[in-house]
Amino acid sequence: MLSMKKINKVFKTDLVETHALRDFDLQVEEGEFVAVTGPSGSGKTTFLNIAGLLEGFTQGEYTLDGVNVSRLNDNQAARIRNEKIGFIFQGFNLIPDLNLAENVEVPLRYRGFNSAERKRRVEQALEQVGLGARMKHLPSQLSGGQQQRVAIARALAGEPRFLLADEPTGNLDSLMARQVMELLEEINRNGTTIIMVTHDPELARRAQRNIQIVDGQVCDFTLYQGGDEPQAARA
Amino acid sequence: MLTHYMDLGWRSIRKTPVLSALMVMAISIGIGITLISLNVFQLMSHNPAGERSSVLHMTQLWSQGPDSWEEYSANLTYQDTMNLRQSDIPVRSVASFRSGGAIHAEGSDAEPEMRSIRVTDSEFFAMFSVPFLYGGSWDKSVDMEAAHVVVINEDLNRTFLGGGNNVGKIIYLDVTPYQIVGIIDHWMPRPKYYDVTNGSMNFAESIYVPFSLTPHEEFPVWGNTSGWQFEPLITYNDRLLSEKTWIQFWAELPDEDAQMQFSQWLTSYVEQQQALGRFTDNTRTSWMRLLDVAEYLTDSEVVPEDNRIMIGLSALFLAVCLVNILGLLLTKFLKRAPEVGVRRAIGASRRQIFLQHMVEVSLIGLLGGVIGLVWAWFGLTTLADHLGMEEALGRLDPSMWIMTPSIALGAAMLAGMYPAWVICRTQPSVYLKSQ
Repeated sequence: MLSMKKINKVFKTDLVETHALRDFDLQVEEGEFVAVTGPSGSGKTTFLNIAGLLEGFTQGEYTLDGVNVSRLNDNQAARIRNEKIGFIFQGFNLIPDLNLAENVEVPLRYRGFNSAERKRRVEQALEQVGLGARMKHLPSQLSGGQQQRVAIARALAGEPRFLLADEPTGNLDSLMARQVMELLEEINRNGTTIIMVTHDPELARRAQRNIQIVDGQVCDFTLYQGGDEPQAARA
Repeated sequence: MLTHYMDLGWRSIRKTPVLSALMVMAISIGIGITLISLNVFQLMSHNPAGERSSVLHMTQLWSQGPDSWEEYSANLTYQDTMNLRQSDIPVRSVASFRSGGAIHAEGSDAEPEMRSIRVTDSEFFAMFSVPFLYGGSWDKSVDMEAAHVVVINEDLNRTFLGGGNNVGKIIYLDVTPYQIVGIIDHWMPRPKYYDVTNGSMNFAESIYVPFSLTPHEEFPVWGNTSGWQFEPLITYNDRLLSEKTWIQFWAELPDEDAQMQFSQWLTSYVEQQQALGRFTDNTRTSWMRLLDVAEYLTDSEVVPEDNRIMIGLSALFLAVCLVNILGLLLTKFLKRAPEVGVRRAIGASRRQIFLQHMVEVSLIGLLGGVIGLVWAWFGLTTLADHLGMEEALGRLDPSMWIMTPSIALGAAMLAGMYPAWVICRTQPSVYLKSQ
């Protein structure tokens, strides 16, 4: 599903070169739920940006869903983001002037779906996250948890091959965080691959696989199989 | 997608009403001023002769002596005019000058009024396509055998005679009675191309009397009289016999053959006059010229240089407005960078973001254009009131209804291109964390 080989990302200024990712290797299979953890500044967000084709990288090879996406132009990257990737952000990132239905509809418009198809998908996605009755509400009229559900609905509406979630519960209280996590698990059970960056070890344990990034490299894999106890671990 | 972008643009305009209003006002004022300048320019540079422009020829002679004027006089002397009227080469020929006097009618309640008068020949009306309501021009014989006949316009007819067909009735010019032979309909050529020497934007005269009456009635000259040598004008006859120029002479020459023939005729006329001791400037090789209407308007500088400078200044002002709009748009669009980051992340291409913002800019431009039209209308009306040119300036030229939105749209898009380009290059990853 996702394969990164020897990915390097270097940020250069006049004085300093910073290696955000260094010989980064990762393989994610279809249907997996992978949690990515690591200390601040370790390269988690850079990894997520590269995985989501939001940023390029300096060296290496990246294959997504069987397509080499290492060197795409802007249009190609935008198209793949639109069709194959769903994004969920810590800050929800809903467009405040658009109501829920319109927010969910945004990526579908860029995809070129007709009005009837957009309507069907918007209704289905909002129903799936339990907000079917609030389509005309503005984001500001919702709680944080509800806003994150809308963001998830927006990500799901395009029926992406995988979801990238960056601290999806970071701005939520524990009850809402649990609800959002349950929703993500349900989505994953339905076959969508999920990669989630989180600082919360509790949430990370609920993923099938944990990856720890330190200094721009994958330094630890922990495999969970349905329970809380790790089944295997390797450095 | 276009309607969606328009919807987004409209929402954005409503979301920032003050900023949007500033931009719309800036563009509308710029457009309004540009439109006023363009309209005045267009009015002045208009050729009202239309298809007949190349047929009608202003005849000018270099009758001045050496070391005097450096240009042709726009007018002819009376003696040259009388001689040129003898030529049968032009299909029509017309001598004319502007005069004036007190007008009144017997039995009319209207007070006598000073009005400008055109002293001219019978063919004036046919030559310049003047429309008649009642009657027509005086008989051609009157051009030789003077008679007290007059053509008046509808305004004068209404003021002094209550309107309607008053052909045959009498009207007084000063104390002399004239019989009305024709009443012309509303006629207001702008510029007043048959005589721009008396103000190219002045009204056409309301009274027309035969040129042949000139020596009898000694009509005062309300136009320019120019002389290149000292000649005391003690009597009216002195004027008629002098080298003073004060009469316009138009010839209708339908084709190049006629023009050539008339040129040859004029050349031999000048030779005859030289034999009589006139046309003494031997530094010249040609003593005559024929200007069609377009050439005459250009030669007379009907569109003054000031007007062209005004166009340049108003374009400069519009450019300043656009620079301001550019700055405001940049501020507005960059403030929206986080939203654009989200849109880019979920699949918008740079092109789509660029188009979205250009549509918004176009809406601002169109709004500015509409308000600019209102400014232009207000400005032109005020100007027309001030200059007494309601007829000519008090309305927008029809082409402006198309030009205005086009200029406003083009100008706004020009100003919006850079901000839209900057925002479409937003790196989504920069804003996604920070939003």
